[in-house]
Amino acid sequence: MCGALATLLTCAALPVSAANERPRWDTRVLALVGKPGYPARAYVAPNGRIYEGTYTNPNGGSRPSLVREYLGDGTLLHTWTVPDQNLSGDQGIQVATSDTRGRLVLLDRSPARVLLLNRHRHIQRKRFHTYARFRDLPPCSPGRSGPNCSPTTGDDPPVPNYAAWGPGGALYVTDYLQAVIWRVPPGGGKPTVWLADPRLDGSDFGTTGLVLKPDHLTLLVMQQSSAGGADGNPTSGKLYSVRIRPHHRHGALRRIWQSRPLDGPDGFWIAQSGRIYAALAGSNQIAVIGPGGRDLQRFPVIPGPGSNGSAVPFDTPSSVMFRGTRLMVANQAFFSGDSTHQAILDVEARERGMPEFIPSTAGLSRQRR
Amino acid sequence: MSEDSRLTRRKLVGSAAAAGAGAALAGAPGALARPRHRRRRHKVDVAIVGAGFAGLTAAIELHRHGKSVVVLEARNRVGGRAQNHHLPGGDVSETGATFVGPTQGHILALAKRFGVAKFPTYDVGDNVYYRDGTRLTYSDKSPTGVVPPDPTIVPDAAAVVTQLDDMSTEVPVDAPWNASQAPQWDGQTLESWLERHSTYSANRNFRRLVAVATRPIFGAEPRELSLLFTLFYIAASGDERHPGTFERNFSTRNGAQMWRFHGGSHLITQRMAKRLGDSVVLRSPVKRIAHRDGHVIVHSGRLDVRAKRVIVAIPPTLAGRINYLPELPPNRDQLMQRMPQGNLIKVAAVYDTPFWREAGLNGSALSLNGPVNATFDDSPPDGKPGVVFGFVGGDQARGFARMTGGERRAAVIRNFRQYFGPKAGNPREYFEKNWTREEWTRGCPVAIAGPGTYVAYGPALRRPVRRIHWAGTETSTYWNGYMDGAVRSGERAAREVLDRL
Repeated sequence: MCGALATLLTCAALPVSAANERPRWDTRVLALVGKPGYPARAYVAPNGRIYEGTYTNPNGGSRPSLVREYLGDGTLLHTWTVPDQNLSGDQGIQVATSDTRGRLVLLDRSPARVLLLNRHRHIQRKRFHTYARFRDLPPCSPGRSGPNCSPTTGDDPPVPNYAAWGPGGALYVTDYLQAVIWRVPPGGGKPTVWLADPRLDGSDFGTTGLVLKPDHLTLLVMQQSSAGGADGNPTSGKLYSVRIRPHHRHGALRRIWQSRPLDGPDGFWIAQSGRIYAALAGSNQIAVIGPGGRDLQRFPVIPGPGSNGSAVPFDTPSSVMFRGTRLMVANQAFFSGDSTHQAILDVEARERGMPEFIPSTAGLSRQRR
Repeated sequence: MSEDSRLTRRKLVGSAAAAGAGAALAGAPGALARPRHRRRRHKVDVAIVGAGFAGLTAAIELHRHGKSVVVLEARNRVGGRAQNHHLPGGDVSETGATFVGPTQGHILALAKRFGVAKFPTYDVGDNVYYRDGTRLTYSDKSPTGVVPPDPTIVPDAAAVVTQLDDMSTEVPVDAPWNASQAPQWDGQTLESWLERHSTYSANRNFRRLVAVATRPIFGAEPRELSLLFTLFYIAASGDERHPGTFERNFSTRNGAQMWRFHGGSHLITQRMAKRLGDSVVLRSPVKRIAHRDGHVIVHSGRLDVRAKRVIVAIPPTLAGRINYLPELPPNRDQLMQRMPQGNLIKVAAVYDTPFWREAGLNGSALSLNGPVNATFDDSPPDGKPGVVFGFVGGDQARGFARMTGGERRAAVIRNFRQYFGPKAGNPREYFEKNWTREEWTRGCPVAIAGPGTYVAYGPALRRPVRRIHWAGTETSTYWNGYMDGAVRSGERAAREVLDRL
């Protein structure tokens, strides 16, 4: 209502202001991602900058992965080359999170490890620090599910995929090919299998996003498919919740949402409203999921072409993370391999994201705490 | 910025002012100081070496964030490779950096911020192509674009440009040395690649055309340029949303030569220096940068500055002439030894009117003969007077520089007559700028990399060394060699420093 003069003035100004605002789902290209390309995660750090790692090229490649730093307007600021990778062709890096000192937490695929990247160190060998290395678990024998085996039908190497800090400074990491969630102890070191469950077996399309809910006790875990056959339709993805319990234990793995067949849900983030925004790498859409697990909206409405109104369509969108009211979407173009589609896309959501939880002890060794 | 750390006119000898810095210095009490017996040491957060676009941008950014800065400039003016030439009637022509274009958002935003508007480069009418006495005109709106419709070169030119554009997409602008074929591409020159991948050897005219392109772009011959560096330069001719292309680099329409600045690009740097006031110190070539416990001392010819960080915003070859204590890492030192400045001379003639426009020409010419291989209309926005300028680069520049002044003028005017007709024979004024003779630039438009440089030493290009950060257009990921790249580099270096202060 615009009764008072002051309010009238405000109302009069509104159309101008509204004209400058971007509508929901307005999509722009923030930055194309140069070679080696294949961005899988666009991480928005507390400093507002966006970090992206170049991920695995399915056709192989002999060059090391890069980590790139962008400003909020898409200006490319810095680049770091990941050292000591096995350049077999599977190399790829995801910027998962950052620690309390602002170091970036990188998940490296080959070798499977967690690296900390100190952006401010000039000397290459001191810039990267190995925080954890993941083991190649043997498949569990039928009927068993751990602790030192992967309840999968096949024997696949570890592929650390997404990570989230727990309240005590432990780092939880999903594994794309082994049906486990790892727990890296506070300060780094040898990871242990925190959760092993056959429902996390997606064969080649396994466990993806991982986010700690605002209660700081519950992890949300995205499963890209159930191709291992342990949870209903093998072609649909699932979103599970699991509580972090004391003494490194976990609660029950509960399904809270199921995707449509071949949606291929990947990275996701939670809005302050509680709604969940998930990248659907298979159907080239962004899904909005209600806190109770109800499908609320899809953008674009039609799955497949990924037409979003920008110069770059969704092409294997692999992750979303909020920067203010904007979603930073890593457009991987994994299947098409189209390098002109490999980009960070900026999608207006018209609502704010939940701030990332980084405990004060995150990344610190015991002596430094 | 605390009052103590702020450099005042009294504390400093000389200051940067806006236009007419020299006059301002002469008129200001204490500004033209006599040599002092005792050096003064000034304390600031950040010392910046070089008052070109990169250094001034870094200084403005740091100043905006409340940091105290001093910019040490060797010359008696700011602007680096941007310099105005004053025309009768108060207008200007530029003897250095001139053009801006689409995807150069950083320089465009900076110009806007400092109240310098852009205007379109005159591009109405036809281009001129000249080869061995034959002159033809053509529209750059034709299918061949800026490539002259010479049947002896079009097929090769089209194929090579397409191939280079395509190869450049494999080159990450932030790490060209990381391209999948970097070792192979950096192991050959543009010329040796052309020898193998086209009918280049047999097609003499196409060979000449390639050099006509590399001379103004790099101030160099195709044999001097690493193929990887050339591909990087193409890839860098864009921004984060638009992959670089050769066409965008070389074209006026929708390309890097699309606009110019009212008052000249130099005016932007003059206004930046004015904003910074006494923090810019002219005639202060930096001789030595010494690390001490927790700080760095920058020794210039006129004063010493104690700073927490230093940004070196000058071309690599000039940075290599500074004495560092302790010595720089070998890779950084080697890099600076291997990136010479291009060899480019800018020549211009002033006429009462831009008479070529009446003949339906836009002032752009490409010539396989030379010494002037490329020209542009450089007239003020109102076309009064008419100015045409040309580039003499690479081998042509080396030969041209050996001529007497009269011979050079005659050679240029002869070329202009060949391209634009007899009226070009009677200019009101002729002027030229040989950037290789500038002690504090030593060549233009950019530092070039020969074979092997990028793969072996490229990673040292931007990597800070202790408290030293590197800026300058040569360090830019996009529009390397252009004003936009310089501004980008200054912004990046300032953020690097801010992250650490």
